Amino acid sequence: MLNVIVPRDLYDKTALTGTMGDEKQVSSTTFDTDANQDELIMQQQRRIEKEISETTALVGDLEGLGMLEDEYAGDDVYCQKVHDLAGKYKSMRRTRPDGNCFFRAFSYAYLEQLLEDREEYERFRDLAAKSKNSLVELGFPQFTVEDFHDIFMEVIDHVGKGPTFFSQKELHKMFNDQGYSDYIVVYLRLITSGQLQRDSEFYQHFIEGDRSVADFCHQEVEPMYKESDHIHIIALSAALNVGVRVRYMDRGEASEVIAHDFPEGIHPAVHLLYRPGHYDILYP
Amino acid sequence: MDFEGKYNIKSPAVKRLMREACELKEPTEEYWAHPLDDNLFEWHFTVQGPPATDFEGGVYHGRILLPAEYPMKPPNIILITPNGRFETNKKICLSISGHHPETWQPSWSIRTALLALIAFMPTPGNGTIGSLDYTPEERQMLARKSQMLECPSCGKVVEQLSSSVSKPPTQEESSLIRQIALKAEEQPVEEEGENEEEQQPSEDKPVRQRLGVSQHLQPQSQLQHATVGVVSSTSDSYKNWLMWFLVAVIIFLIYRRLFLV
Ligand SMILES: [Zn+2]
Repeated sequence: MLNVIVPRDLYDKTALTGTMGDEKQVSSTTFDTDANQDELIMQQQRRIEKEISETTALVGDLEGLGMLEDEYAGDDVYCQKVHDLAGKYKSMRRTRPDGNCFFRAFSYAYLEQLLEDREEYERFRDLAAKSKNSLVELGFPQFTVEDFHDIFMEVIDHVGKGPTFFSQKELHKMFNDQGYSDYIVVYLRLITSGQLQRDSEFYQHFIEGDRSVADFCHQEVEPMYKESDHIHIIALSAALNVGVRVRYMDRGEASEVIAHDFPEGIHPAVHLLYRPGHYDILYP
Repeated sequence: MDFEGKYNIKSPAVKRLMREACELKEPTEEYWAHPLDDNLFEWHFTVQGPPATDFEGGVYHGRILLPAEYPMKPPNIILITPNGRFETNKKICLSISGHHPETWQPSWSIRTALLALIAFMPTPGNGTIGSLDYTPEERQMLARKSQMLECPSCGKVVEQLSSSVSKPPTQEESSLIRQIALKAEEQPVEEEGENEEEQQPSEDKPVRQRLGVSQHLQPQSQLQHATVGVVSSTSDSYKNWLMWFLVAVIIFLIYRRLFLV
């Protein structure tokens, strides 16, 4: 009775060019009677996830922006923007569009810089070490938070050895090891959720509908593979006190790629490229 | 259990499961859970039927299948003991009520899953996949019978639970457990190696599933969960019926045209 049409060719093309982003809803799906739609969507999603993981690295190699120009050849709106972007940035690094891309891109780009910046490293390590207790105080289960925190600190301690003993290459390897990479994502999701709940009065304004901040966190922040919105970026950058500049590349009128800094007024340490539903890393 | 030699203990999933095995080593009066001797990714468990419900006195045994991506992906729970609430030998997974299984949270654990299972047992099945709505009498009868069960790999189930009082769920934990919904998968999607599924042959199921829907259930109404699947499938079958009706009308009109003109 299952009758699901997977737009396979469409999907393959977009996955290879990386323009699909994290959008997982597939519109041309038809269902037969009596089938549980939720379940069918889930099955289809799993199939798509599998295909994505087979075609895109969690974090890719450094590449020039020329690749991006080729990708949009013939598309005037995007070509202009890529041209503008190429004037501002030297290179980029793609991330896997699995819904975790913001957290993965952010942590990769930031830890990569900490390899070279001792002072900032010390500040961050201190903050990261203390973060566990405040999460437990907020009511996260101690047992599992400890598990994520341990692995998170393990990675940070590796970074602390400096580039001679822990090279960028090794960091790259760690971020492409699903085990470590996902643990980092989980922990950053918890930190983001913690920040939202601690300052819930402020963040409540950003949440549409009558969902409470806590509900929003349980449904949109803490689960893996959930895409990030502005509110995630605002909360994480505030929690860590690390500036993020996001460059928006969409169908908008402007010929420039508009920048948005989180939080405003702070020097951006991490630069990300946003295309609808997806974040990649940019290098000035 | 000697998992050190068999698994890469540097892998976060293995580390995590060994930690959980350690945390759950001592059984409580509510639950008992253990990894199989030769497979850290398959556990067997026993939970106590919640007191003051139709499941009181029951001991329910089952398997927990952990995906390779655990804890990023949810564990699947499979009940072995007939209980009248969940189908046996069918994967059940956890999610936030009213949401898809993708809302599983990595900070939940096997303990969370077992506590959620206990809390979820007295909730109405409402005809969702994998749910059974047996009558209270049938459930009470199954609860009594459950004490006889013996598992080939774990032995007499009833002897596994300890009489020691369990660590009570923290306030946060209980509010968390209240949000969790359990739902069976339509069908096993990924093959998990040796975890072959024996589908239950049961012709009487569709009828019995509906039996107790309007029956009285225990006062746990805060655990009412949305059953999107049911609503949409009813409207689907209505659409289906409508479609066939229209087809019949069209055929009738064609016939009339052919033979009456
Ligand atoms: Zn057993």
